[in-house]
Amino acid sequence: MIKQDIKSLEERSIYIIREAKTNFKNVAALWSMGKDSTTMLALARKAFHGKVPFPVIHIDNGIDFPETYEFRESLTKKWKLDLIVAKSEIKPEMSGFACCGANKTVALKKVLKDYGFDALIVSIRRDEHGIRAKERVFSPRNKNFKWNYKNQVAELWDDYSSNDDSDGHIRVHPLLDWNEVDIWEYVRRNKVPTNPLYFSRNGYRYRSLGCLHCTTPIKSNAEKIEEIIKELETTDKEERAGRDQDKEKAYVMEKLRSLGYM
Amino acid sequence: MIVNRITLLGNKDHGKSTLIGSLLMETGSVSEQRIREAKKTSRKLGRQFEPGYILDSFEEERINEMTIDTTRAQVKYRNTGFEFIDVPGHEELMKNMLSGASYADFALLLISAKPEEGITSQTKRHIFVAKMLGIKKLVVAVNKLDAVNYNMERFEEIRKDVGSYLDKIGFKNININFVPISAYNAENLVRHSDKIRWYKGKSLMDMLAEVSKSAKKDIDGELIIQIQGFFDEGRKSVFGKIISGSMKKGDRIILLPAGKAVKVLRLFTSGRETGSARRGNAVTLELDKKIGIDARGLVGVKKKSACRSGSSIRAILLMTKKMGGRPSIKMNGLEIECRKMNVERSIDVATGESVVSGSIKPLNAGMVELKLSREIAMDTFERTPEIGRFVFYTGRKFSGIGIITE
Repeated sequence: MIKQDIKSLEERSIYIIREAKTNFKNVAALWSMGKDSTTMLALARKAFHGKVPFPVIHIDNGIDFPETYEFRESLTKKWKLDLIVAKSEIKPEMSGFACCGANKTVALKKVLKDYGFDALIVSIRRDEHGIRAKERVFSPRNKNFKWNYKNQVAELWDDYSSNDDSDGHIRVHPLLDWNEVDIWEYVRRNKVPTNPLYFSRNGYRYRSLGCLHCTTPIKSNAEKIEEIIKELETTDKEERAGRDQDKEKAYVMEKLRSLGYM
Repeated sequence: MIVNRITLLGNKDHGKSTLIGSLLMETGSVSEQRIREAKKTSRKLGRQFEPGYILDSFEEERINEMTIDTTRAQVKYRNTGFEFIDVPGHEELMKNMLSGASYADFALLLISAKPEEGITSQTKRHIFVAKMLGIKKLVVAVNKLDAVNYNMERFEEIRKDVGSYLDKIGFKNININFVPISAYNAENLVRHSDKIRWYKGKSLMDMLAEVSKSAKKDIDGELIIQIQGFFDEGRKSVFGKIISGSMKKGDRIILLPAGKAVKVLRLFTSGRETGSARRGNAVTLELDKKIGIDARGLVGVKKKSACRSGSSIRAILLMTKKMGGRPSIKMNGLEIECRKMNVERSIDVATGESVVSGSIKPLNAGMVELKLSREIAMDTFERTPEIGRFVFYTGRKFSGIGIITE
């Protein structure tokens, strides 16, 4: 995995977050308390001199890890975040595609409608998944949250706000260019607070965090950020190998995304 | 690590996605898991494994064996970082091709050596696009040489044809290199191929490494800042991006197009106050005066000669669809209506010929004069690309791109 130039990644992400704030009336961001969306908040604080200038939404299915909830409370206080918790319902008989697709997306639809958000900042990265690699920085969703991936908007140079008459909202992806290892390098240099689950305990750590039901840890002895970075530079495994929703069968991610999932 | 962004160019089915897939595998840049999954999918479709499947991740792309939308993949080779930008080669997907190619530092053009393939009008269109996007370095990979028994004459023939087309469209001062390959069989991609003994030059990856050494030339100029918008409601702080030059706290700058002179009281980068900032920085400026109008679209300079203000431009316009509908352009973050649009000449992109004509055919270009509904700060594309190019709309729909010549 290539370690890119952190400074230019930061400049570009700041530019994109400011574009989002300038172009839309009512912006919100998704915050899963993971390393990516927390890094995005750290970047937003740089773009707006110490404060996150939009509400952050946690789609809460009630089955996230206890550490994740603790982390949410402490950082919300520390960074004075305007936190919106959108409860999603979990049915015990559901898992994977049905669970993420139905529950999380339904909860997201409701919160966007209730608050009237017209843009949603989502911290996905191109290197996470072949489907996410195809995304635009500004990516429209129609009113049913559908992603028209067969006919995406044009995106020339740094002009992200290309015309679009979608009747839904715009997804904004300020971290699209970042690699997993870049996130950790940024976390290290900027002392971005992170969920303790990412660090090895008894020979295991979580590389990607989802909910209790569908996330499994990887074998790892990386107890410090430096060790995680070293591990990632040489790994041959996919980041989301511990996430069920990506594997079940081919195109699950494509279907989830086209239906409005992150 | 600085990553060199290389856009693939070339006709559909000449092997762009296959080449990137092969390069990813040959350089060990893709996980075993991803290869296994791509192999599983091809089995499921009842097909032989195709390296392009690693890039083409949409179900429709794999079923139809074509790239629908642009994607990117990174490779590390000899301590150099590369990002390959895959783009669709189909004519009707020009919009997606442009979206990918516009990010590139240089280009890798693929031409199939098969007798029935070779240089097509779409190949030429992509070369024309490269010229419009300001690409100065081009590596041409002559692909599918296995289909012509690795024949040297065929390679030379294609080399000559490309050369004469470049001359025709006046694509001068371009650094161009030719490499014979077979993407599917991974011949001459990383190591020299025994099957192409007559070729004494570099393998494709070595050629790309060589070219990338000089691809990002840092020629810096006068200060130019593109203002994105107001930082706060007081209308005295603005944020934007320095696209050339540098600045210091206390500098006096001129905000174009109107030309209001202001002083920078405080300067911020990465959210922190600083004494100076330079090209590439996302900055916040606290000014001594309020800005009455909207800040978005303003361009800050120290010297007026850094660019010009006006409402009339001459440009080369590439149309991705039929003309018609109200024209407008997007530039400096603003959408501006064109009061008048006058096509002076049209350029047949496939032949490179230009004729006096009042209209531009879809997928072709033309020289146009545009009268904008308001003044804007600009420069020629040649001098300052960031304020010398625009996105073109008709009836508020994406219709092409333009570069300012005057």
